[in-house]
Amino acid sequence: MKDMISCRNLTRRFGEFTAVNGLNLEVAAGAICAFLGPNGAGKSTTVKMMTGLLASTSGEVTVCGMNAAANPLELKRRIGVLPEDLGLFDDLTVEEHLLLTGDVYGVPRQETRARTAQLLHALSLEHGRRTFAASCSHGMRKKTAFAMALLPNPQVLFLDEPFEAIDPVTAKIMRDLLQSVARHGVTVFLTSHILSMVERIAHQIVMIRKGSKVWDSAVGDLPQSLEDHYFDLVETPVVEELEWLGPSRF
Amino acid sequence: MARPFAILRALALAYRRDWTAFQSLAGNNFFLLTAYLLRTAGTFVYLIMALVVLFPLSTDPLRKIPPSRLALWPLPRRERWILRLASPWINPLTWGLAGLAVWGAGRVLTVGMWAAIAGLFAAAFLISAVPLPDGKGMWRRVPRFPGPLNQLVRKNLREIVTTLDFYCALLLSAVMLAYRVFGPALPPEAFLAMTVLVVGAMSSYAQCLFGLDGEGGLSRCRLLPVRGWQLLLAKDVAFLAVVIPLTLPLAVLPGIGAALVTLAVGHSPSVERPRPQTRWRFSTGGALGNGAIQLLALAMTASAIFSTSAWFLAAAVAAWVVSVWWYGRHVERVLG
Repeated sequence: MKDMISCRNLTRRFGEFTAVNGLNLEVAAGAICAFLGPNGAGKSTTVKMMTGLLASTSGEVTVCGMNAAANPLELKRRIGVLPEDLGLFDDLTVEEHLLLTGDVYGVPRQETRARTAQLLHALSLEHGRRTFAASCSHGMRKKTAFAMALLPNPQVLFLDEPFEAIDPVTAKIMRDLLQSVARHGVTVFLTSHILSMVERIAHQIVMIRKGSKVWDSAVGDLPQSLEDHYFDLVETPVVEELEWLGPSRF
Repeated sequence: MARPFAILRALALAYRRDWTAFQSLAGNNFFLLTAYLLRTAGTFVYLIMALVVLFPLSTDPLRKIPPSRLALWPLPRRERWILRLASPWINPLTWGLAGLAVWGAGRVLTVGMWAAIAGLFAAAFLISAVPLPDGKGMWRRVPRFPGPLNQLVRKNLREIVTTLDFYCALLLSAVMLAYRVFGPALPPEAFLAMTVLVVGAMSSYAQCLFGLDGEGGLSRCRLLPVRGWQLLLAKDVAFLAVVIPLTLPLAVLPGIGAALVTLAVGHSPSVERPRPQTRWRFSTGGALGNGAIQLLALAMTASAIFSTSAWFLAAAVAAWVVSVWWYGRHVERVLG
């Protein structure tokens, strides 16, 4: 199957610090690829390079057959992104964000309105459609940004930590929506720390540690549970005893 | 007493940081213009500025603590009362008013004057404590615009009306409108001067067009498949939609020309040296040189249109179009 995302020796340095180091990666059309790693491992930097928001120091990234650095505007028209900071304007309502997306992606007005209504309903955002982003809860903001990523019907979806800080029902709805869009041929590239959710929806697992890839396989090829494998390869949790926690006060 | 004291100390720190945001006044074109040109005749303009600044300054310091956090703290009723009574004294305006009462009464201030200032302060203090219905604020209601940039323009309009520059210009325009309706006739040159003042009051905002978007907004600007000139155009349309109505009771064509030139000059610092701005404060412009050039250019353009020919408006339009095109390319480079 044709690769929708391809990285060749992708490297990004910030001064002396190497955030991403020689990453090679292919994601096939219609696949859901989970990109895992601890905080600061280089996940968001990789997503920024893939979406044309950050230039690589060296190497190349191709999305939808286009070089991300060479043609960022055309690339932006074909992808949907849920960025790390959600990218919302404080002075627009939930509904206005979706209408804005339809307008600037060239979706016909009628179609935008229909898709907006469907997305607001599907993500239980109808009651808050006229709430300004500045007044929304974090969950509402995340759902709004997720709806914005879906509305233009992109070929590739990039989602930075989509399941964090949302309620279980919404997480289930988002999971079902992602599986549905993947069945329709949309490629999904997501980062997450919620391994149980990732194990349920991902077709491909990529793990990164200190900027370097340490695992890349189909989910069925994992030698053990995702959580155990993650702890073995990426980071082993060390639990420290805090002796002062307990019945005695202060 | 240790608990309320610790809270008051933290509040004082937060309040002091908040007050530093008012240093924006020093980098504001309008302040510079009035300070330079109106050294003696500027009392009226300074009064308007003071009135505009009084409201955001007169907030209740206790509101800086999130209500849920205040409710969770293990404070007995007596300590909550201490907090309530002591916290207004964190606001320097309270001390100022008390000082005026002690020192000024019977000398520079009449009792009535002092009561009026204290009443304004108290009103602003109380208003700041009244919770606004979510998203129902009058300033949130803005008109729709044709084209795909509609929502961006509306968002930018809402940003402009959360700056004190706008309220300063609005007060100036409203006062002139009232004077025009009810007062004796003024020479036409007076309207030109007031037009320059009104556009000047808004000009610092034109130097920091992306200042209120925040990191999230800038991140979205990067993701949207629009050209840099379109982002600038959405900013400029919102600015003109505010400034042109404000100059309607004054000299309209010179006002439009001055606004276009203000934007043309303001694009450079907006794009190349973006400065984050704070809501409900005066905008802080770029370098002093930018402000001086902007003020000079807008005053000269307005004068040329007013006293020579309306064709200078065409020159202002041309300068603006070139600036949008040129700095639109820079926006793409800066935002990525």
